[in-house]
Amino acid sequence: MATKRDMVVRPAHDLGGLPAGPVVPSDHEMTPFEKSCHALLNVLAEHKLVNTEEKRRGVEDLGAQIIGELTYYERWAVSASRVLIEKGVITSEELGARMNEIRARLTEAAA
Amino acid sequence: MSTRFVEGQRVRIADRDAPGHVRTPVYVRGKEGRIERVLPRFLNPEREAYGVNEGTDVRLYRVRIEQSALWPDYDGPADDVLELEIYEHWLEPADHSPTEGA
Amino acid sequence: MTTTHDPAHGTVDHGDHTHGGTGGADPHAPIENTAGEPDYFDVLQQAIRELLVEKGLISADEVRAMVETLDAHRPALGSALVARAWTDPAFKERLLADGTAAIEEFGIDNYDGTKLIVLEQTPEVHNLVVCTLCSCYPRPVLGLPPDWYKSRPYRARAVREPRALLKEFGTEVPDGVTIRVHDSNANMRYLVLPMRPAGTEDMSEPELAALVTRDTMIGVTTPRLP
Repeated sequence: MATKRDMVVRPAHDLGGLPAGPVVPSDHEMTPFEKSCHALLNVLAEHKLVNTEEKRRGVEDLGAQIIGELTYYERWAVSASRVLIEKGVITSEELGARMNEIRARLTEAAA
Repeated sequence: MSTRFVEGQRVRIADRDAPGHVRTPVYVRGKEGRIERVLPRFLNPEREAYGVNEGTDVRLYRVRIEQSALWPDYDGPADDVLELEIYEHWLEPADHSPTEGA
Repeated sequence: MTTTHDPAHGTVDHGDHTHGGTGGADPHAPIENTAGEPDYFDVLQQAIRELLVEKGLISADEVRAMVETLDAHRPALGSALVARAWTDPAFKERLLADGTAAIEEFGIDNYDGTKLIVLEQTPEVHNLVVCTLCSCYPRPVLGLPPDWYKSRPYRARAVREPRALLKEFGTEVPDGVTIRVHDSNANMRYLVLPMRPAGTEDMSEPELAALVTRDTMIGVTTPRLP
């Protein structure tokens, strides 16, 4: 069991040397969401809106439980949103409103 | 440009445990190795992670560490090594050691 | 995607993420979206893109172009590069001396601006690449990393027990051969240059390239004759 100090010093992304099971040689084709997310984050990095280290820091700050449960690109999306809000590039309010608009649009399109 | 450490020099990776985003993995902290090569200077990722995108350049090195120095119970051959990149502010000269040799 | 259950640590590894606790019995395991409902994370990334485009901070064309760039960078680029190095000793020398310059000379767009170090497999040294902190990978030459490269078991064990790990990939490295594990943890990226197998003297460059799989350029396997 990790001590409280360990939980701070060794966040969930720092895995070198920890015990783990066999490597399963798994892979999958990128989904449209994953591709869009990857492309978006690359563009954000090029414009220094969310640079690569900010993106990584944002993922690390999600904490062990969220890191463990979310997929790779789900973590990127949440990290980017938090860094952009933190830097004042967007507000949580406008992001939330836009998400509702998009959901309404997608639900309508599917109906 | 002169660098603080030179190829072949024995170094110790600092053993620090403050919170914050760093690129020095926990498993190499406090370990000793040798400078494998001197790399260019790059922005300090510990500042970049908080949005500082200029003016923080720091020298990067590749450090070679014997596996047996990392893991006391390493069961492979003694020559097996690990190499990784360490920024200058994480390196200290290792005590009482020549810069020549293996 | 293949999944595995690791009873020793009570986790279910999905390649790029791991469910903790006691696997299927975990009462805190999140519930997947109901079918038909827009995915939260997809909505989130779309909303970020739209807002930033409206603010004039990025353009939709840039994102579309980046999707094309990602599609265009596949392991086949690395395979062709290795085949050239096998057939052109002067090129191989340049590749080992300055990987970034050599891949640009070869016509590969180094789109992420990272610096490349090429590691030569020899009869004395076997190189293996991992990123223990995240998923650093030579994307311009190999495309995006496979799920297993980003998985906890690979990242945790490659630096600790490389020989046992390589055996799981079917790669036996004799004790007389030194293993150099490269933890790709900062600004450099690493491509393994595998050894050209014996018996390939009469092969053309494209035939040679077909022997060079992605995994041989990460260092977990070695090229085999078909």
